[in-house]
Amino acid sequence: MSEKVKAKASGTKRSRLSYERRKALYGYGFISLWLIGTIIFFLIPLGKSLWYSFNNVTITTGKSNTEWLGLKNYKDAFLNDKEFSEDLRLTLIETLWKTPLIIIFSLFIAVILNQKFRGRALARAVFFLPVIIATGPVLKIINGDMGSTENTKAAQFSTMFSTDLVGELLQFLGIYGISDKMGLMIQTVADNIFGIVWSSGIQILLFLAALQNIPSSAREAAQMEGATAWEYFWKITFPYVSPFILANIIFTVIDTFTNPMNIVMGRILSLKSSWEFGLASAMAWIYFGIVLAAIGIITFIVNKFIYYEVE
Amino acid sequence: MSEKTAMADKNKLSSRQLKKLRMENMTREERSYVKRKALVDKIWPFFRFVIIFGLGFVILYPLLYMISCAFRDKMDMNDPTVMWVPRHYTLDIMKETIQAMDFWNTLKNTLLLNIGCSFVQVVSCAVTGYGFARFNFKGKKILFGIVIMMILVPTQVISLPLYMQFRHFLGSEKINLIDTMWTMYLPAMTANGIRGGLMILIFRQFFRGLPREIEDAAYIDGCGPFRTFVMVMVPNAASAFLTVFLFSVVWYWNDYYVSTTFFTNTNTIATVLSDLDIRLSKALFNDATIKINPREQIVWKQAGCLLSITPILVLYACLQKYFTEGIERSGIVS
Repeated sequence: MSEKVKAKASGTKRSRLSYERRKALYGYGFISLWLIGTIIFFLIPLGKSLWYSFNNVTITTGKSNTEWLGLKNYKDAFLNDKEFSEDLRLTLIETLWKTPLIIIFSLFIAVILNQKFRGRALARAVFFLPVIIATGPVLKIINGDMGSTENTKAAQFSTMFSTDLVGELLQFLGIYGISDKMGLMIQTVADNIFGIVWSSGIQILLFLAALQNIPSSAREAAQMEGATAWEYFWKITFPYVSPFILANIIFTVIDTFTNPMNIVMGRILSLKSSWEFGLASAMAWIYFGIVLAAIGIITFIVNKFIYYEVE
Repeated sequence: MSEKTAMADKNKLSSRQLKKLRMENMTREERSYVKRKALVDKIWPFFRFVIIFGLGFVILYPLLYMISCAFRDKMDMNDPTVMWVPRHYTLDIMKETIQAMDFWNTLKNTLLLNIGCSFVQVVSCAVTGYGFARFNFKGKKILFGIVIMMILVPTQVISLPLYMQFRHFLGSEKINLIDTMWTMYLPAMTANGIRGGLMILIFRQFFRGLPREIEDAAYIDGCGPFRTFVMVMVPNAASAFLTVFLFSVVWYWNDYYVSTTFFTNTNTIATVLSDLDIRLSKALFNDATIKINPREQIVWKQAGCLLSITPILVLYACLQKYFTEGIERSGIVS
């Protein structure tokens, strides 16, 4: 705030202060509130947590005492804590196969929801429901209850959708020959359909927004040329939504990684509640480092395939 | 000339004959294309319906289950013949859950916190986003990098130091903000609340998408940048404001991690719901240690879920249009 006042004062006193400089000062004025907040509520805590990760932290009556340990916490996380590296591996693998599925699924649904048909408004409303419910403890209870009525994950689902049904369907169709791996893959997908549908609300929303930005001239041209729906998808739809594929991948990765229900997060949180802050911070930083690296690699690869209309 | 004959044809022939005539004029490829298109147009709606209906069911399933559970007696849970339609209807479960959650007080608290925080956060994020969108200053890239970091770093990484920060606010021993509403309001005011980084990004994209001319006109008329922002940009951004506000309400509503970290006695709907087990034992048996049969407990839990999503569902039902259409115009897209 003070900067802005200063800027105004100096602006009226000496009009020699160039327009550019004045605008720059106004810019600082606009972001100053955020900057103060971000130093207090983001940067300092972030720095502290990095500092904790190299220390043995003990809390006494609301004060934290630190004792320098160097890299010991990091070594402990990998060497002494077998579960941690195992959890980390599982989370990574899960993210690796779930993200593409979510992206493909949400793009498919977005394309459908973008067509004109009766009851489209209702269908859209239903498919966006997970956006408003899926982040809270409600989802936890939904998942938990499905677990507690026996039958592992999908509980009553399994009777309707899951494994056996798929297996039987394949047998019915006379497909015995597919390898076990393939069968296993189909089963996993069927088992996880609930999770996938429920975590692709925002992605559908973004893809739909992108689809509606496709100029109608492109569609008309494709129709004139007699493009099939398949060709239309690959030649028109896909290039236009490709920037959003990146955005959606990043969003999905962050979302699955930072979900409090994810096992690594759960492990870090339980360490925190047993007062092992140093180790917990170290694990959090390892985890965060991996997330950043993953996003970096994805961005690098996907960026090569993106089509930007302008720029 | 040719148009004229076409018009004449239309008048003379029936539509079927006209179609036939048109087909005859086409090449073979064109004809096969039209035929195939007609076929696809007939079959596809059926498949589309199956897909939408099936997946819509997957989404609605938990909600239907909630409704089915919340109004049944707990003994129906042990009855294997009861799957969807309860045998004994009762409102007792709902009443008990409302009592256990202290629902009306909690709702009031949550709304106060939610609406207030969302409002100040939207304002502060809009101001910051505008600053990033329209002004050039030194270090802008680095500062914007921090915004991106805010999106990427999970709250869990910084929650403990943040706790200490509130415990001894600004390094002072005396100011203890833990368990006050300030722990929510202060970050929200400074655009650092729940998903603040994402909201700054949305506003930045949105303001960048608006034409510069409208501002230049205001500048020429002698408006300062801040007045320009309030008088010219804000009215233009009304739909973006509403969309972001709605999302913010939803995020604050669903948050329980941040609230459980900083609140010990202040309850929100989400925190109450996440420790519903203990509350139930307390409310029903006056003893927090009693464990209710997990199978029977489901009825109360589902009732709790139903209660806690109802307000947000009502909001969604009323403003559904803005949720789904607003985001398209809010600039996330570009």
